[in-house]
Amino acid sequence: MDLTPLAAGLAMGLGGIGPGIGLGIGFSKAMEAIGRNPEASGTIFVPYILGLALTEAIGIYALVVSLIILFT
Amino acid sequence: MVHVEIAAEELFAIGPLTVTNSMVGALLASLVLLLAARWFTRRSGVVPGRGQSLMELPIEFLAGIVRGTGGRRWRQFAPFIFAIFLFVLAANWLSLLPGVGTIGLVEGEGEHRILVPFVRAGAADLNFTLGLALISFVAFIAFGLRANGLRGYLKELLIAEPAYMTPLLTPIHLISELSRVISLSMRLFGNVFAGEVLLATMLALTTATIFILPLAFVVPGVFIILELLFGLVQALVFALLSMTYITLAIAEHRQHGSGDHHSSEALEHDTAAANGAA
Repeated sequence: MDLTPLAAGLAMGLGGIGPGIGLGIGFSKAMEAIGRNPEASGTIFVPYILGLALTEAIGIYALVVSLIILFT
Repeated sequence: MVHVEIAAEELFAIGPLTVTNSMVGALLASLVLLLAARWFTRRSGVVPGRGQSLMELPIEFLAGIVRGTGGRRWRQFAPFIFAIFLFVLAANWLSLLPGVGTIGLVEGEGEHRILVPFVRAGAADLNFTLGLALISFVAFIAFGLRANGLRGYLKELLIAEPAYMTPLLTPIHLISELSRVISLSMRLFGNVFAGEVLLATMLALTTATIFILPLAFVVPGVFIILELLFGLVQALVFALLSMTYITLAIAEHRQHGSGDHHSSEALEHDTAAANGAA
């Protein structure tokens, strides 16, 4: 029995948990900050995008690993 | 089943140089940028026309961000950041045009019949993103060297803040410097490649049976709009992260009295005023 698809699915699914939680926390904090101080939304935008990218990178690693498992 | 190829397919070879379809995509992107730049600068004026305003829009947007977060020496590296942003943006958006990744030659026999497209998204090949990341890596080292000098830079790199922690912290620091290349390239590659796979999967899912065939006209379209957004965000992220690395390399964490400090005082005031206005 070939378990390769299962491995790829598990890699992506488990690897998505952490970044998902992290992105949620980051986004909620950014929204909170904008809600408290709407004028600061321009200042918050760039660090928010950077943090989003850094957090999301973990998920992308999982994606790349699962793609490599699947297609090589 | 969707056919997915991680490596870009080889189209032809000129001597030892192999030309892949991702290279064609990247070359097309740079060609579009060059032509657009030529077209818009030839007819540009102090009072921008309609086309020039359109062309200046992303530059203005990015210039605002770079000015706001790039520190006092943002003018030095702003062109580099703009170039990265525009190139990645052009490569990403060109890959969403109809015909890219779908027009090509069918190769192989029987089970292994696959379509080798003529053009493939530039960033859907790790070589493209790794090349860009290496350029960015060299750039932030070069800017760090120029700003702090060889001694200052090496001191920053190799000696940790409390000196007795150096054996523990310096390897971590070095690895984190190197991992920037990997994370930059993997992020862009993963996003663009996953986008391509996502679009292909959505089309394959909606054309699987005849009953949901009308969905095939709607669902991939929605995802193409999503990919437009992702292409912009990824270009922005690549450019902004490069900028952050450069500003980190330029910034002096410890004061070891450099003469450069005073010469850039005027520029600092200029930037502060611009920040206040914005």
